[in-house]
Amino acid sequence: MMPGPESHSPRFAELLPAYALGALDSAELRELEAHLETGCGDCRRQLDLLEGDLEELAASVPPLTPSPETRERVLGAAAAGTVVPFQQPIGPIRPIGLMRSSRWLALAATVLLVMAVWGVWRQARLAGEAEHLRADRDRLAQQVAALDRRLAQTQADNRRLASTLSLITAPGARAVQLAGLGPTPGAVGHTFVNPQARKAIFYAFDLPAPAAGKTYQLWWIAAGRPVSAGTFGVDEHGAARLEVDQVENADQIQAWAVTVEPAGGAPQPTLDAMVLKG
Amino acid sequence: MRRIVAGEGGALAEMFDLHSPLVLGLLFRILGRRSEAEEILQEVFLQVWTQADRYEPERASPRGWILMLARSRALDRLRRRESTRRREEEVAGDAVRFGMVHPVGTERLEEMERRSRISSALGLLSPEQRHCIELAFFEGLTHTQIAERLQAPLGTVKSRILLGMNKLRQALSA
Repeated sequence: MMPGPESHSPRFAELLPAYALGALDSAELRELEAHLETGCGDCRRQLDLLEGDLEELAASVPPLTPSPETRERVLGAAAAGTVVPFQQPIGPIRPIGLMRSSRWLALAATVLLVMAVWGVWRQARLAGEAEHLRADRDRLAQQVAALDRRLAQTQADNRRLASTLSLITAPGARAVQLAGLGPTPGAVGHTFVNPQARKAIFYAFDLPAPAAGKTYQLWWIAAGRPVSAGTFGVDEHGAARLEVDQVENADQIQAWAVTVEPAGGAPQPTLDAMVLKG
Repeated sequence: MRRIVAGEGGALAEMFDLHSPLVLGLLFRILGRRSEAEEILQEVFLQVWTQADRYEPERASPRGWILMLARSRALDRLRRRESTRRREEEVAGDAVRFGMVHPVGTERLEEMERRSRISSALGLLSPEQRHCIELAFFEGLTHTQIAERLQAPLGTVKSRILLGMNKLRQALSA
């Protein structure tokens, strides 16, 4: 009889993240794999979630365009490949030789033998079907867990996108493009302002990382006075995203600008360190 | 993926066009050599072509499955190399020489939203936690190998990976 699933313990939960990463050394790897083989559903679900996180980590790299030759080689090799049929031809079934002296007895024995073989075969087949059904049940349970995970992730993404979209497309929302200045002429920025909600969302692209001890600071200028909208850094691709709440007097905003300031931000913008304006 | 299993070459072309830039980016991140990354990219998509019937939709998205196939093949190649030391200057040089993909318009904003999510999550990690996770994920090192590489106690490395992965989990599920 197969052992039942072991209860999920904090010890295994601690090993799972490193297992998903492939970082476990052999002793711990054997320990966890032995536990997983018992069919622990909690661990399986947790592992699916961790693998989803690692997909995001893998997808965080900068994409690169493959050479046209690589594409041609892949599609050419796929097109040229021949599908080898898995089924082998089955030879003719050889008749069982019958004894001349007792043909009927031999025939009866053969019938009995065939029936016995059929019985054994049927039993094996039923056992196989039961095994398939159990595997189907486990697979469906995993599928449901994976769908739950994707649903939660999609809902989180949707909430975020819906929030951005509602801000951008609301009546009265305005878009302002910021152009690069001084040392960063190639940088661009976009600010979407929703006066009703008093919110703004800011994106920047192609900004270099600020020097050590420095940060970028976003400002809006209303009635000739600069107001800080917050500080931000950039990711490894030079991009940034900043959500701004409590945008006062959004209708009176005359301009947006980004300056380089000491870490933590400055009360007033350093005008000769302006990198984006619009 | 079902169309690929059915042997539709057009479906493979669509899959290649959709996912190959990200897969090549990952291979290049792991291998640090453009030519080798393109070579493994071919192997990965031919594996997708011949083994699409092994794809389990309940376990991963097609993108996730292909990325993990690519990571596994790239780490195998990395381990076969006589010298495992990465040449950082080669990475930087190639990145400039071949240029990164810069999507435009709404695609760029969508990509920005997606990247913002993982960047924010990674930003919550300490530099040490992030470094340990990257050594395991992009270089295929185990706890012990990371501890040796960083000259750090084994327990410290285990703790950094556990805490870092838990932070990622919390941030990505928020």
